[in-house]
Amino acid sequence: MRNTSAWIVFGFALFVFGALFLWPLFSVVQGGFFVDGQFTLRYIAGVFRNPIYAEGLFNSLRLGLGTTSLALLIALPLAWLANKYDFPAKGILGGLVLVPMILPPFVGAIGFQQILGQYGALNAALNLGPVDWLGRGRYWGVVSLQALALYPIMYLNVLAALANVDHAMNEAAENLGCSGFRKFRRITLPLIMPGVFAGGTIVFIWSFTELGTPLIMNYTRCASVQVYDALLEIGSNPFPFALVVVMLATSVTLYAISKALFGRQAHAMTSKAATTFTATRVRGARGWLVALPFILVISVALLPHFGVILTSLSPPGAWYRTVLPETLSGVNYAEALGHNMTLLSIRNSLFYSVLAVTFNAMFGVAIAFVVVRSNLRVRGFLDALAMLPLAVPGLVMAFGYLSISSFLSNVEAIKESPFWLNLFDVRNNPTLFLVVAYSMRRLPYMVRSAVAGLQQTSVSLEEAAANMGAPPLVSIRRVTLPLITANLIAGALLAFAFSMLEVSDSLMLAQRQDFYPITKTIYELFQLIGTGKYVAAALGVWAMVFLAVTIVGSSLILGRKLGALFRI
Amino acid sequence: MAVEIRIENLTKTFGTTRAVDSISLTIQPGELFFLLGPSGCGKTTLLRCLAGFHIPDTGSIFIDGSEITRVPPHLRDTGMVFQSYALWPHMSVRENVAFGLEMRKVPGPELRKRVDEALAMVKMEHRGDHKPNQLSGGQQQRVALARALVVQPKCLLLDEPLSNLDAKLRLEMRGEIRRICKEAGLTAVYVTHDQKEALSIADRLAVLENGCLRQAGKPSEVYHQPISRFVANFIGETNFIDGVVSGICEGGYRVKTAIGVIEGRGEPDAFAVGAPVLLSVRPETLMFTPPPPDSPNVFDAEVHDTVYLGEMAQHQVNLRATGNGEAPISLKAFELNPRILARDTVEQAPAWFHPRDVVILPPDAS
Repeated sequence: MRNTSAWIVFGFALFVFGALFLWPLFSVVQGGFFVDGQFTLRYIAGVFRNPIYAEGLFNSLRLGLGTTSLALLIALPLAWLANKYDFPAKGILGGLVLVPMILPPFVGAIGFQQILGQYGALNAALNLGPVDWLGRGRYWGVVSLQALALYPIMYLNVLAALANVDHAMNEAAENLGCSGFRKFRRITLPLIMPGVFAGGTIVFIWSFTELGTPLIMNYTRCASVQVYDALLEIGSNPFPFALVVVMLATSVTLYAISKALFGRQAHAMTSKAATTFTATRVRGARGWLVALPFILVISVALLPHFGVILTSLSPPGAWYRTVLPETLSGVNYAEALGHNMTLLSIRNSLFYSVLAVTFNAMFGVAIAFVVVRSNLRVRGFLDALAMLPLAVPGLVMAFGYLSISSFLSNVEAIKESPFWLNLFDVRNNPTLFLVVAYSMRRLPYMVRSAVAGLQQTSVSLEEAAANMGAPPLVSIRRVTLPLITANLIAGALLAFAFSMLEVSDSLMLAQRQDFYPITKTIYELFQLIGTGKYVAAALGVWAMVFLAVTIVGSSLILGRKLGALFRI
Repeated sequence: MAVEIRIENLTKTFGTTRAVDSISLTIQPGELFFLLGPSGCGKTTLLRCLAGFHIPDTGSIFIDGSEITRVPPHLRDTGMVFQSYALWPHMSVRENVAFGLEMRKVPGPELRKRVDEALAMVKMEHRGDHKPNQLSGGQQQRVALARALVVQPKCLLLDEPLSNLDAKLRLEMRGEIRRICKEAGLTAVYVTHDQKEALSIADRLAVLENGCLRQAGKPSEVYHQPISRFVANFIGETNFIDGVVSGICEGGYRVKTAIGVIEGRGEPDAFAVGAPVLLSVRPETLMFTPPPPDSPNVFDAEVHDTVYLGEMAQHQVNLRATGNGEAPISLKAFELNPRILARDTVEQAPAWFHPRDVVILPPDAS
């Protein structure tokens, strides 16, 4: 890659990240520290002093830690078993175990409540009175919902790390008389720590700031919900800013620690696996014993989804104090399709996501080219920059976009022009900021998959094209792009799927009903008394099917490399 | 049609390493020229400078008289065969071969005709619709060659083209490559670390070390008249004997060594009497037949290790001056059609070598 084009991409990337990533963050930080132009620590300190905010932060931390630990507890044994054994139906179970990822946990919460609620299926089945399984404060409800939705990220990371461990290391340990659990603790675990930490960081940042699930589960005393509730006062109240600053600082610190500890691959394998390790084949009773944990986890994790599907198929009121709905019908789907709010939201989500993914694909490939194929000194910096959105919670980004939107719509020149106001003021039209938010947050996945593709493609293939007379752009179009198509499609599908079901930006930035994306509509429908919950469930099922198709599609294309997309 | 390649004072550094260090070289039109050296000697870097994948720091490259030092690779009209072949896996054999012609906007009928001819030339005409991964290593190699040749490039660049093939195929393909180059009348630059490959098919070759050109010439010249210890050691096998020039004789010098005086060949005025020198004696020049009368360089040989290879035997022999029992030196010797020393009973025999087979080199700088 010629240096001039590499520098152009680098310059453009700096501009994009400056304007669309750092500026909103800066604006948040400024809002937390500067009030009326005066620097003050009053509000940051106030967050810790005010008992309500302090409790919210504490609860959010508990949510993050609880979810991460639970997800690890679920994922680690599964990954270990999947790496070590070849058990019956491994292909299907290995795929199904990833399925919970396809539904944002907050949609699952609707089904979860139908099953575990006071008047839900479990109490009906056990013939109990209105026992509150979700518990007071609903902390464990939120934690288990989140863990059951996020453990696949952990599982993929740990599995990839396990697969990377040179089997000779295990053999060497056994040769020296160390085996069983001691070998796992002394040899395997230290070697897979980078994978565990990478997955853990993503899960923690995600669950620490998750907005949708606590909202639906009515767990209001956590920082994310407090920020959401304070949105209306964004112009006058510095506390939400301060709260967001603390969340940002926590996430970024954790990300930095994980990068510092494991980013340079502290435990880089000295050699490529020399001995090929084949999973032990187990069949019959022993085989199914190994498969059992998978079946258990899958059934529990799919329970919320099952609940959502049943809710969507149950006519309003038909599933109350009963194990299963008394009757099933498609009435909710008919209503969902007839409801102009739902159709519009599907159209909106498609529009935002297609725009975001198109931008991502082009920008991501350009960045990947500079990172892999140029010799700029700054390419490592660019790579790190492109990964940064993983360190920043969606809620913080959304808050940042709100903040710069409110700043821009107060600039005189913009205030007077309906055109600019329409572009920059989310209260008028959130399209620009939603598209920007969707693309910035999913950019890392796109960059990672493009980088992986380019790294697998030998440079000499491009050199051969140049040698045969192909100018650089022709060589990219005819040789490079066809060879990395699989990676690009997978990355784009994933980015698209996540954009379609993005929660925090959608809830916070879309403020007018005619611009609602799917997730905001589900949330708004859920809050309607009467049929709302059922129509919301029907829309959730539609989203589930849609996401299942895209994720299965991308995993078919990428095969085992799917895990690479979820690493930092 | 064949073109000349001229390299003038070329230097390319990576960080602090001088991969190519002020090399000047002229490759004649139609010549099959080899760049030879151990790994890391800069031969591949030099070839990639010719192809345009590296821009040299200083110096110039001329192909057919015009300077192309900074011309981007796709405008150079060179045909390169990569070590890994670099066949595009998403294209069929035909599509791979046709790519260069497409880039040159060759019209359809002619394109098809030339692709057919190129595939026929490398005997791959029946594999046109296969994908590269369906071919064996040797077949991929042929396709890579056809792809480079079909565009009728100004020159052919080959980067260790045979290193991924097994020994037998390598022998077959190296003859094939020479045949094709000569038929097409191409100037070709061939990079390898395999001296047998170079000696067997090169018109001329250059030996590189640490980015510097050490010696260039015909294979037999470089083999028989190496100019330094490195070249003598890298091309073929040899024995080194330290000595001091003790006198001048016809066509060379007398050199005093640990096993007595050895007569060797050297240009007049190359060495002064009393100068320390290094003698290079190829293992195959040590003779075990009776020496001619009055022959210099006759010694007693004692075999202490033999590797029997059928057509020849490799001996490790201790050589000492005839008659006296002073400390011997150990030399490697090849005995073709081994009948004398290979018999277990024979442990001692006279051995000699002809003065024209003793090359006198300057002593090591190091």
